[in-house]
Amino acid sequence: MQQEIRADAGPASAPSRATGVGHDLGVGQEPEIQDPGIAEELLVEEVSIDGMCGVY
Amino acid sequence: MECAASTKAGATVMTAPFEPGRGYELNPAVALRPEPFGALAYHFGNRRLSFLKAPELVELVRGLGSHRCVSDALAAVPEGRRDAYLRALASLAAADMIVPRTVRSAVA
Repeated sequence: MQQEIRADAGPASAPSRATGVGHDLGVGQEPEIQDPGIAEELLVEEVSIDGMCGVY
Repeated sequence: MECAASTKAGATVMTAPFEPGRGYELNPAVALRPEPFGALAYHFGNRRLSFLKAPELVELVRGLGSHRCVSDALAAVPEGRRDAYLRALASLAAADMIVPRTVRSAVA
């Protein structure tokens, strides 16, 4: 069993960056904004209940 | 064995391509149940469930049938969010939750 303790780890609620870690942004470069696909996923989520035999 | 609920984002079925220039309406086979996050849409035909995760989207879907076309309906949506709402409507159309409006039910 291995437990990793990081002094620089922030709280779980802190926003995380999926991209750009370890990369400096040059002058004139803007940070990557939210992927439009993520916004779509937040608006509509489809759930299949086909396999829920006997639930209803 | 697959006997549990599964979540799919963007699953597609064989439906007509989504055309924002056409009028659409909520499929009569779909029931919308208001929820704190927006609404839950249940399709009695294909037994699909979709979570509409924004009250504004629910309002848009409910009122879709009163607009000549999807683009007209989207005019009420803030410009910066129109693309996201358009994609959301496209995925609802792919799931048969919204359907092209028939001539009979078209706005005069």
